[in-house]
Amino acid sequence: MSLHLILVEDDEDYAQGLAADLKAMGHRVERAGDGRQALAALDREQYDAVILDRMMPRLDGLSVVETLRARGITVPVIMLTALSMASDKVDGLEAGADDYVVKPVAAEELVARIHAVMRGRRWMVSETDTIRAGDIVVSPTSFRAWRGGQPITLANLELKLLAELARHAGEVLTRAMLIERVWGYDFEPETNIVDVYIRRLRMKLTEQGGADPIETVRGIGYSLNP
Amino acid sequence: MIERAIRRMSLRRLTACVLILFLIATVATGISILAANRVTVARLVDQRIEAIAELVLERDAGQAMVPTSEIRARIATLSGARDTGDVGLLLLDPAGRALGGNITLRRPLPLGRSDLRERDGIIGLSHGRALVREAGAGRRLVVVAETEPFDSYRATRTRIYLIGFGSIILIVFGGIIAFSLLVSRRIGDQRRTVEAIIAGNIRHRVPVTGSDDEFDRQAAAFNGMLDRIGELMEGLRGVSNDIAHDLRTPLARLRGQVARIAQEAHDPVQAERASAALAQCDTLLAMFAALLRIAEIEAGHRQAGFAPIDLAELVEETATMMIPVAEEAGQRLGVTATARPTAFVGDRQLLIQALVNLIGNAIKYGAPGGAIRVALDGAAGGVTLSVADDGPGIPPEQRARALRRFGRLDSSRGQAGHGLGLPLVAAITRLHRGRLVLGDAEPGLRVSLIMPSR
Repeated sequence: MSLHLILVEDDEDYAQGLAADLKAMGHRVERAGDGRQALAALDREQYDAVILDRMMPRLDGLSVVETLRARGITVPVIMLTALSMASDKVDGLEAGADDYVVKPVAAEELVARIHAVMRGRRWMVSETDTIRAGDIVVSPTSFRAWRGGQPITLANLELKLLAELARHAGEVLTRAMLIERVWGYDFEPETNIVDVYIRRLRMKLTEQGGADPIETVRGIGYSLNP
Repeated sequence: MIERAIRRMSLRRLTACVLILFLIATVATGISILAANRVTVARLVDQRIEAIAELVLERDAGQAMVPTSEIRARIATLSGARDTGDVGLLLLDPAGRALGGNITLRRPLPLGRSDLRERDGIIGLSHGRALVREAGAGRRLVVVAETEPFDSYRATRTRIYLIGFGSIILIVFGGIIAFSLLVSRRIGDQRRTVEAIIAGNIRHRVPVTGSDDEFDRQAAAFNGMLDRIGELMEGLRGVSNDIAHDLRTPLARLRGQVARIAQEAHDPVQAERASAALAQCDTLLAMFAALLRIAEIEAGHRQAGFAPIDLAELVEETATMMIPVAEEAGQRLGVTATARPTAFVGDRQLLIQALVNLIGNAIKYGAPGGAIRVALDGAAGGVTLSVADDGPGIPPEQRARALRRFGRLDSSRGQAGHGLGLPLVAAITRLHRGRLVLGDAEPGLRVSLIMPSR
């Protein structure tokens, strides 16, 4: 799916590179150099998502997202931040951003996050509900999962992982996203924890037959396609 | 020699030495004054009673000896006189019986001078001197006089001494103790500053009282030095962070492009090569992430987010999470928590990162089919979190280098990784006011994080 994006970033070099990569992936990208330009552009046109740098001259990212939300504009906003401000994640989310990533971030990672936000918006699934994806059913509240009506015995983390994949079935979830959402870590472990857990999950999902529902997107992450 | 001895002495010992010497000198002075006083008084009294004895036994010209009746008369005269009324006089016959006088004796006194005490039972005399002289024909004359000018003179003198010397001792003791407390408190301010800086709080400074005394000037010089070091560190950190950040940006792009090539590759050989390139990109990115994470930790901001942590639960949960990773590498992973620290405060994410890092290393470098042991034990005033493997370990002479940034080792252990894993764990430990110790698990490496509870 081609996305119509606006990239709001004052760092010319970084913005140029990121925009080129996003375009290479087949997305339409417009650029704004500061917060005011961004608000003006968002008034004129509709975008699928906003990629918003937090630190900018004239009007910073937090003010932009607050202004957008105050005007009732619900467009998904992914906020970019320098590492030194990574601990201010809560501020960004409270201001109304949908996701918060530390720069530099690869275009693939950004697009995966945008899709995850858009998907979450469409279904508005609450975390406590039973999730269905094809023949897979996950009930995070009762710690149980089924495939084709057959119960699957999963450890706690495996269940959380399956729930996250099922919630975003058909989309790519990057390792960073999984580490953040399933493990709750604010760092990326150098050990291949995600890959190991995905392998175990695959094994349990295919134990009673059936095709492997988890697709590996090389260099990016995983996607559940039952 | 003495200077060196004093230099080596602690403030407390020096104070104690000075106080003991002062106490000895003061007590010795008091005793000397008391003794001199007593000797002088005794000598004066002796001279007086000798003069009186001379008066009593003075012979008229041509007299062989003074008759008893004459002596009695003289004693009566002297007893009645104002100047000599306080002197006791007694004349004894050769058998020691009283022939006359104004006192009685309980015991025979020796010839010549002697001391008198209260128990000698002479009325009105508690301490005094006696003189016994031959009075001719076997008779003896006893003259006694008090050495105390008034009643309870000794008690009064003792009280004066106690009050006088006591107050001197108290003032000097108090003064020296106050002085040593002041010195140790002001030096303690500096020590606490240094400790805070070692613990990562580099913005800490020595308090200045504003009195512009020696300590204040010392503190100001010290703070000036810290400011300068801070500036230099800030500059260095800025440069290295900028470099790391600037290199990360093109690297992230490169990684994205390689990932796209890997996805689009239909030829399995091409895909394999792209995957290998991807893995190298990831190692480089991880290296920068570790560098920047160390910088973030050493900046000390994360201490603001410290919260109480159930460390035993954290260790058990994280180690259990890593069991599948160890199993996949053909290793066993066991965890024991003998300590359940209740007062541990720290950064949850960083502690998990440290533990995941250490277990990851143990999996990477442990012996194939070996066992990894994670343990949380109580230590004096804190806890020890340790991860042990049974791989080749790190020889003692290379351990210090292993903790240095990019401190790659000669042995097999140095071949993989980027040399920032242990320094990152060490930085996390330092942030928690602890220290990282590399030890021998016989065989293998044991990494211990020794951290205090608060």
